[in-house]
Amino acid sequence: MSLLVITVGLFSLGLYGVLTRRDLVAILASIEVMLGSATLLLVGLAAAGTPVGAHEGAVEATGVMVIVLAAAEAAVGLALVISVARRFKTTRVDELAEVKG
Amino acid sequence: MTLASIIFALLGVVAVSGAVVTVFARDVSRMAMGLGAFLLAVAGFFVYWGATFLGVVQLFVYIGGVLVLMIFAIMLVHRSPDGSPLLETRHDVAALAVAGGLFFMVVMALRGVVPDSVNQGIESGPAELTEAFLGPMLTHFEMGGVLLLAVLVSVVVILGGDDR
Amino acid sequence: MSGFLDSGWSVVMLPLALAVVVAVSGRLLGRLTPAVAIVAPVWVLAYGALSLVEGVHGSARADSVEWLTIGGAGGLTVGWAVDGLTAVMLVVVGLVAALVVMFSAGYMHGENGLPRYYAALCLFTAAMSMLVVADGLVGLFIGWELVGTCSYLLIGFWFTRPAAAKAAVKAFLTTRVGDVGLLLALALLWREVGDLSYSAVFAAAPSLAPGIVTAASLLLLVGAVGKSAQFPLQIWLPDAMEGPTTVSALIHAATMVAAGVFLVARAWPLFSLSSEALAVTLAIGGVTAVGAAAAALVQSDIKKVLAYSTISQLGFMFAALGVGAWGAAIFHLVTHAAFKALLFLGSGSVIHGSGTQELEEMGGLFRKMPVTGTTWLIGAGALAGLPPLAGFFSKDEILHDVAGAEPMWAAILFGASLMTAFYIARTTRLAFFDVYRGSGHPHEGGWSMRIPLIILAAFAGGLGFAAASVADVVGAHQGSLDLRIALASTLFAVAGLLAGWKVAGIDHPAFARPSFERLASLMRTGWGADTLVERAVLSPVIGVSRVLYDFVDRRVVDGIAEGAAPGARGLGRVFTSLQSGDAQWYATMLGAGAVALLALVSYVGRGL
Repeated sequence: MSLLVITVGLFSLGLYGVLTRRDLVAILASIEVMLGSATLLLVGLAAAGTPVGAHEGAVEATGVMVIVLAAAEAAVGLALVISVARRFKTTRVDELAEVKG
Repeated sequence: MTLASIIFALLGVVAVSGAVVTVFARDVSRMAMGLGAFLLAVAGFFVYWGATFLGVVQLFVYIGGVLVLMIFAIMLVHRSPDGSPLLETRHDVAALAVAGGLFFMVVMALRGVVPDSVNQGIESGPAELTEAFLGPMLTHFEMGGVLLLAVLVSVVVILGGDDR
Repeated sequence: MSGFLDSGWSVVMLPLALAVVVAVSGRLLGRLTPAVAIVAPVWVLAYGALSLVEGVHGSARADSVEWLTIGGAGGLTVGWAVDGLTAVMLVVVGLVAALVVMFSAGYMHGENGLPRYYAALCLFTAAMSMLVVADGLVGLFIGWELVGTCSYLLIGFWFTRPAAAKAAVKAFLTTRVGDVGLLLALALLWREVGDLSYSAVFAAAPSLAPGIVTAASLLLLVGAVGKSAQFPLQIWLPDAMEGPTTVSALIHAATMVAAGVFLVARAWPLFSLSSEALAVTLAIGGVTAVGAAAAALVQSDIKKVLAYSTISQLGFMFAALGVGAWGAAIFHLVTHAAFKALLFLGSGSVIHGSGTQELEEMGGLFRKMPVTGTTWLIGAGALAGLPPLAGFFSKDEILHDVAGAEPMWAAILFGASLMTAFYIARTTRLAFFDVYRGSGHPHEGGWSMRIPLIILAAFAGGLGFAAASVADVVGAHQGSLDLRIALASTLFAVAGLLAGWKVAGIDHPAFARPSFERLASLMRTGWGADTLVERAVLSPVIGVSRVLYDFVDRRVVDGIAEGAAPGARGLGRVFTSLQSGDAQWYATMLGAGAVALLALVSYVGRGL
């Protein structure tokens, strides 16, 4: 129960951050929290003896894939943030919404 | 209270407080530290559960890579003239309701599926991981490689464009 | 050989593939198009013929695939099964379609849009094969709808002619009324049985409530009536003559319109349990047989004569079904396919040669078109029921069976066959004998048109002797030839022929006397069925539409429309706040949707 509550709680916390943070960088950070909590649940399930994946090593391999995806997402996201910051001199989504292109 | 449950609780507290700081901190550097704490705790969970390799990867890629990248971005972005790099958060009832609702729904839905105690640990190590990646999950592996290449190219395209 | 016969889907798939090929590369193929298109029906013919040679009793070969899964109640399967009835139908479809394609090479030569024409013919072959080889009502329904679509496409082949376009729509809509009945029958049987394959439905039929069986049978009958142009849904078939004559021969004489008879014969185990449904079938068949025959007496258009004749002959088949003689109905279906396709193709040859469809502008064509004339005479004799031509045997069997069960209806059918002989004799004399009244230079068509006529004439002449084997193959008992009935019907036929011949001789060029004119004009319009439909169906619909327009559209809709602007402005204000361009607000909505879905699945979904 505690594993479930902690990981889902972390996920919801990250979601709340994504929905309320007004700065692109902070939104990215919140997304990292969501991804991390999802991986945590996956690995935790395997550690609790629930069969995950069709073969040995699948759990860790999937975890590695998530980390790789998260890294890729962070790289592209931050590149976009920097590009946006250069062009509009701000990274706040509410200000960006008013700029509109 | 066993040692295991103490470690579990400790890591849990660190992860949750790190996440809370990440989501609510107004100061940029504190947010980065909170994220770092969260990621470290996740890596700690991995190691504690026996997925040592995964923990190490988490440490390297996240703490070594993503966090540094993020700090870089913060430094680049927040060069505000008045020197107050504060992060705005517009707290929102709707967002709270959505996040809370999701929490409730998912917990209720997975209640019977997720076991109470994490006691078994993960036996597979890097050897099995390698076998998985070079065997049944070879496609995933290759796709990951292609994705990273695409990321490399797209970052260059995004940032290389209009450098004045 | 058995490998070939095991590939039952090929009778659907190959024509389908050829339809695509012809449609796509028709321009490239050019004059070779008919040669490519004919492969489809020939394949079907070969399959059916080989099945017959191998001998099929009961459901010999079958295969099915799961098509759709609905809830937990099991899936809709679509399969094929070839038994005697199917094999006979495949032979009929393949043979007539092949000959029609061959005939078309000459008849349709030089028309625009020929790839479309041949593609539609191939598609029709595929659909008709689907209809007959299906092992359940689902497959039958798919084929059923597809043949209707092909019929629509082909009636409207000359879509630039308003009459053709209108006729196509009329045919489509009228048969659609029947299709609704068929669909409802499927729904009812699905609810009651939970499986729509013939075997399951027929196995479950005896244990169903009698009311359900009657309802299902009657709904199936509605579908059959629509497809086979029986009373009261007969009005589309005469108009369908706007299509090319070849199409009339294939679709509106030999195959598609016979699908209704096929359906009832197929669903015989269901119909046999409901005496009410059988009584209705008999009544519909009898009324149609005599009414359409009467309408055919006075037509001035050679194709219209044949159209009413087809309706009338299908009525004979329905009457036979109504007394339980489904073997006789199928046998008449087979012989009718041969002689009516022959007559239609003959009329096509006449139209091709003389350039008109009006009987008044023909006459004396026998000398100018000897092949067409000779084969026409055989077809006409078969239709009239002269021994030993095919129609004599099949019609006799029907009359015999009906007379044994319902003498009153048998008398009516005798009247209808008297009229049949009358109208075909009249038409024959007007078209082929006496002096030529037209202004063209009638000539025989090319060999591609003559050969199909000769082949069909051979079948129309000789098929009658196959009565026993057809009955044996489809698994029906064959009634013995009753000499009294045979004699009576022959006498009726001869009397009708003589009378028709005489009337055609004294009556032209004035086709009807003034005193007779009122009744004749009523009959010429098919007993005013179109006017009746207009008064009884269209006018009320239009009236209601007008009321709806005046009230609902003018008052309510326009009122709403005029009140819409202020309302929209107010709503807009509400919605602009929702659509702020704020991505996070959108994300929140997305999350709310996800939560709602989760709640739906985990709480409401359980109860379902």
